[in-house]
Parts: sequence; structure tokens; C-alpha cells
Amino acid sequence: MFINWRLREINLKIVYYGPSLSGKTTSLQYIHSRTNPERRGELVSLKTREDRTLYFDYMQFEMGAISGLKPRFNIYTVPGQVYYRGTRKLVLKGVDGLVFVADSQIRRLHENVEAIKDLYEDLVELGFSPGELPIVLQCNKRDLPEIMPVQSIKEQLGLNGIPTFESVALEGIGVLDGLKSIVNSVVTKARGNIN
Amino acid sequence: MSKGLHIPEELLDKIEYILDHLAEKARTDCILLADISGQLISVQGFMEEGTPAIVAALAAGDVAAMAELSNRIGERDPHGSFFHEGETKSIYLHNISGSFILIVIFRTETPIGLVRLFAKRAVEQLVPLTKEFEQVMGPPKTYNPDEFSKGITQELEDTFPTN
Repeated sequence: MFINWRLREINLKIVYYGPSLSGKTTSLQYIHSRTNPERRGELVSLKTREDRTLYFDYMQFEMGAISGLKPRFNIYTVPGQVYYRGTRKLVLKGVDGLVFVADSQIRRLHENVEAIKDLYEDLVELGFSPGELPIVLQCNKRDLPEIMPVQSIKEQLGLNGIPTFESVALEGIGVLDGLKSIVNSVVTKARGNIN
Repeated sequence: MSKGLHIPEELLDKIEYILDHLAEKARTDCILLADISGQLISVQGFMEEGTPAIVAALAAGDVAAMAELSNRIGERDPHGSFFHEGETKSIYLHNISGSFILIVIFRTETPIGLVRLFAKRAVEQLVPLTKEFEQVMGPPKTYNPDEFSKGITQELEDTFPTN
């Protein structure tokens, strides 16, 4: 969180995290396409030649002033492939809220579990306490066959009790619900820190 | 974890004074100050192309990658600087105390030595100021926490309008 009192702006950082090919970039592309054009910045993607996320995807959107403060949200995705762990940790610096995008397919359970382990390890290394950071679970690819029940995903990932949304990112289903939920959680937490 | 970065107006005045001075002495086009996570703090000058917020986000990634690269070759000082020389414009990045980034955009006619010299001086002045950033300052008088939370719901609807 960064507050610029002169400009009356509150900047908040939300990161979409998850295993490779779980739908993080697709979610961000949908969010960008659905954001009021007057309130959004450009969508920046640093990709490999194979169209996979190399560094991160990034977009910014802002809201109108509320109670004298204008919220701006910086949304990032991380590269999901295992060997980009260092990059994921860099993107997590200064994060205010997380959307964990899980791949609902049964055969991707292991990757989901590894990703959440990496995430917690990185957060601890960055100085976060367990439970300190608002997290939302987005169970993606709900349209595919052979998917796990949402409750099983939550249990396997140790994410019981956190807001959870089923999504089909390619069609935009459930994506904005997850985003709105994390925005509300982040703002609620920030509100406590401003006050 | 800290409660975030809060920058009071008087501190921004001092920062802008330093950046103005650097811009004048080093004949730069645009100077940005960002925190290490890519949050834009201050902009001096203007960019003919590009968006300062995006430049700040990308610079943070670049600085972090360079710090990691330095570690891999046995360097332990994360406070280095580096620059990219373009055909018409160049970028100079300076990692300030591992917490902030000074981003200087200048025309290639301007000698890099000049930019380096004055940027280094500016960084020396910025270091003590950046240490004050973590102080939590009071919110604006108009700020009402309940109103802020309630207002978000309406703003979300306006930001993501349903067709």
C-alpha cells in the first residue's frame, strides 16, 4: 500500500498467483477488457516467444475519489512455470492481496499444491505472517471434464474458510466476482491501516 | 510487515526539489521515483511516450532481476545502478538502499557520465528522506473509514460496468 497524501491517492497491489497454465493471464486479460476504458491503463505482458508469461502481466485501474481518497489498483500476474520462482517472489513484494488461481483439473492437483507451498514460503521470506494477507481462491476451468469438487481443492490447498469463486476465465465467468471480492478485502484491510 | 508507505506533502516537496535539480543539471527528459515493488512515488518532467506507472512497474522488475543476477555472481551489494543505451533515448536506473528506484530518462546526446554524477548526488540526498517514508501520517480531514468502505461497492460497479 502506498498513500500519496498530496494527490490523495491510495495505491494497492493485487497479485494473481497460481501454477502454470491455470488461467492467470487469461483472467487479467478479461478484467482489462471489462474495465471502464476511462479508468484503466494499458495491459502490459512480458512474454516468451511461446506466449508464456516471462516476467509478469500488469495493469492498473483507478476509481473515483471516495471520502477524499482515490484508490488505484495495480494488478499483476506471476509466471507460473516452476523455474520462475525467483520472479514470482519479486512480484510479491509489497503485495496487498492475492488471488490464487487454481487449475480445477484432477491431474493438476500436484501443481496446485506445489504452487501454494511456494507461495507461503515466499510470503514468509518477505515478512508476512500467516493469515495476514487477504486471499481469494479462484477455481478455474470449471467447464472441463475430470475436475475436482471445489471443496476438495480448498481442503487440498489448505484454503478452507477463504472466499472462493468458480471460474471459466476464457469466457470471463466468475473472474470479476473474484476480483471484486479481493478488492473489498484489500480495501477493508487498508481502511484499518489508514484510520 | 509495515503498514505501507505513506508520504506526507512536505516530504514530497523535498523529493521534488531534488529531482528538479537533477533534471536541470543532468539535462534529462523525465525522472521517476518508485518504490522497490514498482509503486510510482514522484514524476518530474514528462514522457512523450509511455506511462509513468508502467515504467515504474517494469523498472522494479528490472532492478530486482539485476540484484538477483549480481547475487549469482557473488556480489552482495544490492544498491547498484545500470543503464540501457537506446538510439535516441536512454534509461538509467539506480537502486536506492534496496527500497527505492530512481529512474532517469534522457536523450542519448546527454553524456551518461553527467547523468551518473548528478544522479549519484541526488541519491545521496534522497537516502535520508526515504527513511522517513515509513512514518504513518494522518489521513485527510475528509476521510471517513465507513464511507470509504461503502463507496467501494459503488465504485466497483462504475469501474466494471455491466453491459
